[in-house]
Amino acid sequence: MKEMWRNYDPEGFFDELMFSQHQPRGFSYRLMDYLQGMDHEAFQQRVSESELEMLERGITFTVYSDAGNIDRAWPFDIIPRAIPKSEWQRTEKGLSQRIRALNQFIQDIYNDASIIHDGIIPADVVYNSKGYRPQCQGMTPPHGVWANICGSDLVRDQNGTMYVLEDNLRVPSGVSYMLENRKTTKRVFPELFRLLNISPVDVYPEQLSQMLSSLRPDLSNPRMALMTPGIYNSAYYEHAFLAQQAGLILLEGSDLVVAEDDYVYMKTIHGLERVDVIYRRIDDDFIDPEVFRPDSMLGVPGIMRSWRAGKVAIANAPGCGVADDKVIYAYVPAMIKYYLNEEPIIDNVPTWLCREEDQLAHVLEHLPELVVKPANESGGYGMLVGPHASEEKVEEFRKLLKENPTNYIAQPTLNLSVSPTSCGDKIAPRHVDLRPFILSGDQVYVTPGGLTRVALVEGSLVVNSSQGGGSKDTWIVDDSTFAEAD
Amino acid sequence: MLSRVGERIFWLARYLERVENTARLINVHTSLLMDLPEQREVNWFSLITIFNARQTYFERYERANEYDVMFFLLADPAYGGSLANALFSLRENARTSLDVLPESIWEQVNELHLLVKGELSSIGNRRRRQKLLLTITERCQCIWGIIANHMSRNFAYDFLLVGKHMERADMTSRILEMTSMLLADSDNDTSKQYESLLWATLLRTLSAQQMFIQANNSSIKSDKVLTFLITDSRFPRSLCFSVNAMGNYLKYLPRAEAVLAKQTKILNRLQQYDVKHNPAASIQQFMDDFQISLNALNQDIANTWFYPDFSVA
Repeated sequence: MKEMWRNYDPEGFFDELMFSQHQPRGFSYRLMDYLQGMDHEAFQQRVSESELEMLERGITFTVYSDAGNIDRAWPFDIIPRAIPKSEWQRTEKGLSQRIRALNQFIQDIYNDASIIHDGIIPADVVYNSKGYRPQCQGMTPPHGVWANICGSDLVRDQNGTMYVLEDNLRVPSGVSYMLENRKTTKRVFPELFRLLNISPVDVYPEQLSQMLSSLRPDLSNPRMALMTPGIYNSAYYEHAFLAQQAGLILLEGSDLVVAEDDYVYMKTIHGLERVDVIYRRIDDDFIDPEVFRPDSMLGVPGIMRSWRAGKVAIANAPGCGVADDKVIYAYVPAMIKYYLNEEPIIDNVPTWLCREEDQLAHVLEHLPELVVKPANESGGYGMLVGPHASEEKVEEFRKLLKENPTNYIAQPTLNLSVSPTSCGDKIAPRHVDLRPFILSGDQVYVTPGGLTRVALVEGSLVVNSSQGGGSKDTWIVDDSTFAEAD
Repeated sequence: MLSRVGERIFWLARYLERVENTARLINVHTSLLMDLPEQREVNWFSLITIFNARQTYFERYERANEYDVMFFLLADPAYGGSLANALFSLRENARTSLDVLPESIWEQVNELHLLVKGELSSIGNRRRRQKLLLTITERCQCIWGIIANHMSRNFAYDFLLVGKHMERADMTSRILEMTSMLLADSDNDTSKQYESLLWATLLRTLSAQQMFIQANNSSIKSDKVLTFLITDSRFPRSLCFSVNAMGNYLKYLPRAEAVLAKQTKILNRLQQYDVKHNPAASIQQFMDDFQISLNALNQDIANTWFYPDFSVA
């Protein structure tokens, strides 16, 4: 299928697999050699196999539209994205460092607030954050860990430097797709796994189960459940998949009840049975109508009472969303220094805080070149992408920034790295990011690689599956063995 | 096990059994019609009668020709008992029970769903329809095979087996009732002439022909067929076998005493069945009573395990 690659050109972007237009990177050489050696038809055959595979396994996500909800097959690109192990080891350390700092931060915020007293972060940034929950004041969850499951988005710029774009630590999703992508690659490209030494990812469910279990050090065999908002949630497939793989009881709020003794019970064929650990896949706004949104039909009245009394562990802990805030994000490097007395191993994307007058002035001056993000939105909503926006849109944001500067941050528009992607009849460079998953209980576990999301539309930077994004299997390739061959 | 999950699993088994039985019933019936001369008693509409769907059918269709009946029973989205709807419910119940089922069940159910979705438009073509129905039967058997060989004998398994035998007993009794009615109603000699063909068809519908012949070593006569399909303790599709099997799994469930007592009562009635007192022509009342008692048992199961009183003191 050489002809599919003939016009391949990363055009100045950093390419994950290619060193230059025709020269693969050392760790991707064997992969490239194999793919380029396949004839066109054989390659297309594998593409169809992978599509059928996803469809038959029912790996879908739900798209909500006026025409009704449609379950779409998960868009998957069969060309893996590879990262050399030598580089990944450093990234892994960086992610682990970051989550330790973030957890200490959340613990601090709900207890001594020393980071505020010491003037590192302004009080209003924390207390006005949408994710801050005064109801959590004074709590210390097991091991002092609040964000037990974190999915951080990593991106590379044109020089290949890896940055953290954001930390998703409310209810991050995507890990099941990471596992399914690997399973699919194994089925459609089994021979590739002989050529390269690739870190396995399928221990994740076991690690998840161990982490959840560590949240009840007082019990030898805690009963653990995954709480889903239900089958109409777009991530329901993932909830069911994780429950199945990690041996968790899949349940909904209506299956639970908090009794007078403040323990949480589930409604079983034996009557009521106690639940000790809950991995919630529902926003904390909805988990307890007695404490948070009273209109929530998804939650369990009294569950916060039970959590505060230490009678149930909840992952992620309620209130941990305070650290999942784009303004607070800007302070993470400072947190790492403050709590750990270390230098950040992975940097933030350079960020201007619009609340600071001089930084706001810079932002307003360069608005058409920048990306502006509100403090507390996810999924790419409420954003300005300067270079791709109309003049009116830019002016609209100029007004918003002047009216409410504290709610915004700005970043340079990154030239995200690209990776070879199958696009119909040709292989073309498409922009990618990476979402590794980090588990924190009594210890920290980082997935080797994670979920690579790819913007399938030419030139697009939007990787969200709801907006035309797809995904790739992500390989951490042991590069120590063929250093000499390069 | 969560009550909600127990209920979904129970219904999953019922739908799975229903899909398989419906597919086999339609195929065998089609083959019967090929053997019979054009006549009044046995026709496409007989199928509608078995499903007790006469009224629903005539709300939307004027005549009972092959295509309309097939569309109604297989594909009609507006008829709750259609195979497509049973399959949809089967898939929904599997999708929401992933955590208690062997992984490959979901894949199989989903593949079956995709297969049928792609082929439903061809049901007007008799040959393709027969082939599709045969494939559906085989896929269902494959799913039961996974359950039998890959699933621990836990509560989920118990509910699956109770659901399966509940559905099977219900279907068997409907088909028995139907066949008897055909014979009772016929005032001409045509049906009489084909009587043994009808009973043979009945046996094939329940994939019972071979086992019946082995056990009876005789020609196919109504008395023997009825006795076999109602009381045989070793053939897995007889009423006695199914009701007895329900007891075998119900007994592992907590607080099962009252439900078991009811199940035993139903079983005893079946065991006492005597073809001399209830010959083929009068079996209808017996089957009606049986179906009513089966529904009551289903209700008791729901009240005991799916919707008990969970109020907290």
